[in-house]
Amino acid sequence: MRCAANIDARMVEETAINLDPIQVAGRLTPEAMKAVIAWGDGYSVCDNCRKPFRLDYIQNPPLKEFHVELAEWLGMAQARTVPGARRAFQQVAGTYVEKGDPVLIGALAHYTSYLSVEICRGIVREIPKTADNHITPDDTANRIEDVIREFGTVPKLLYIDHVDYQFGNMHDVRGVTKVAHQYDVPVLYNGVYTVGVMQVNGKDLGVDFVVGSGHKSMAAPAPSGVLAATEERAEEVFRTTQMTGDLTGRKFGIKEVGIIGCSLMGAPIVGMLASFPKVKARVEQFDSEMANSKIIVDALKSIEGTKILSEYPRKHTLTRVDTSGSFDVVAQTHKKRGFFLSSALGKKGITGIIPGATKVWKFNTYGMTKKQAEYVAKTYLDIAEENGLRVA
Amino acid sequence: MSQRAAEALFTALFSLTDIRALLRETAPSHEFDDAQKTAAEKYLATVKKQIAILEEELL
Repeated sequence: MRCAANIDARMVEETAINLDPIQVAGRLTPEAMKAVIAWGDGYSVCDNCRKPFRLDYIQNPPLKEFHVELAEWLGMAQARTVPGARRAFQQVAGTYVEKGDPVLIGALAHYTSYLSVEICRGIVREIPKTADNHITPDDTANRIEDVIREFGTVPKLLYIDHVDYQFGNMHDVRGVTKVAHQYDVPVLYNGVYTVGVMQVNGKDLGVDFVVGSGHKSMAAPAPSGVLAATEERAEEVFRTTQMTGDLTGRKFGIKEVGIIGCSLMGAPIVGMLASFPKVKARVEQFDSEMANSKIIVDALKSIEGTKILSEYPRKHTLTRVDTSGSFDVVAQTHKKRGFFLSSALGKKGITGIIPGATKVWKFNTYGMTKKQAEYVAKTYLDIAEENGLRVA
Repeated sequence: MSQRAAEALFTALFSLTDIRALLRETAPSHEFDDAQKTAAEKYLATVKKQIAILEEELL
């Protein structure tokens, strides 16, 4: 079915259970889908943009109120919306990092963290991961000392993922931040997998910046994200233009430099706004999400030869699994080779796992009902048994 | 007149979106429980009513 001449209608969520690790917490709420129907046109939310002509001052739809609530919800002084978390990284790096400046980044970080430093011509130094795939305060302290020895200065910035995208492991943000602040290094909290799915309070964590992703974890359309800052850092990262045109003398009011004036408009911001009440409510229910995750993780664990590579017990719904000793053994002789697993899942209405992946892969159970979790768990067990794998 | 038609159109689309949400939460089998059936009936009734308004206004 097509929704336009050469564009398929996307019906993934209506026809299947999606396990895609990066998509599931970004699925729109019904409220967001309705808001997109009504406000999806280009500049729609700008209908009521009045002096001082800035997105976060618009009162209808209530974007002004939303920005205040967003900051409060994150335990920070001020918040803005951005076109994706990467733009928040860029905005913060652009404020503090100059050519040749060192920046510390956890070794499990997303590539966009690195690129945000590269665009400023900064230099990344990594905090290594431990054998069990964690970023620790001790390693952070050691690497800050390394940077001081190498560059003669402390890092200009430190990025720490609360939950990393590779293992879905939870890292000691509070401990890492405490160490960083002993050296006066500002800390950017990457909450791409936490803001919008579990409780996050930047003040409690002690961080300087909180970054979240709308399309990964806040039930908002892509591209969307949030950046929040402490009062002290907000003055820097949300600084307003001082520029004057040399011929015209033009000035640009209170437009913010780091975000090039206004950022999110139309569908992304209205979707985020519409989902926000449910997103605020759903973070209180993270325990039930973990209960659903456990149903599926335990089923996979019971298939002989399968290893959970993420920390266990799980603390997040994104999990990395090694099935090279189970499903990949089947793939060696199956007529569909490595595609047998995704094919078998597809026939049962389960999608989101990379086709052909039978060795190491990731899945995310966020947002499914208990009934759906039980169905996914049973399907994995059935596929295992049908292919001669032993289930404990 | 046109305002009434526009409102009917949006109301219908919103109710269809509620049905879409039901499809999402029951995928892949779409076996509705009693509460979901009741909700679906309500949404479909709303859609039918809005279509009647659209017919009245536009045809």
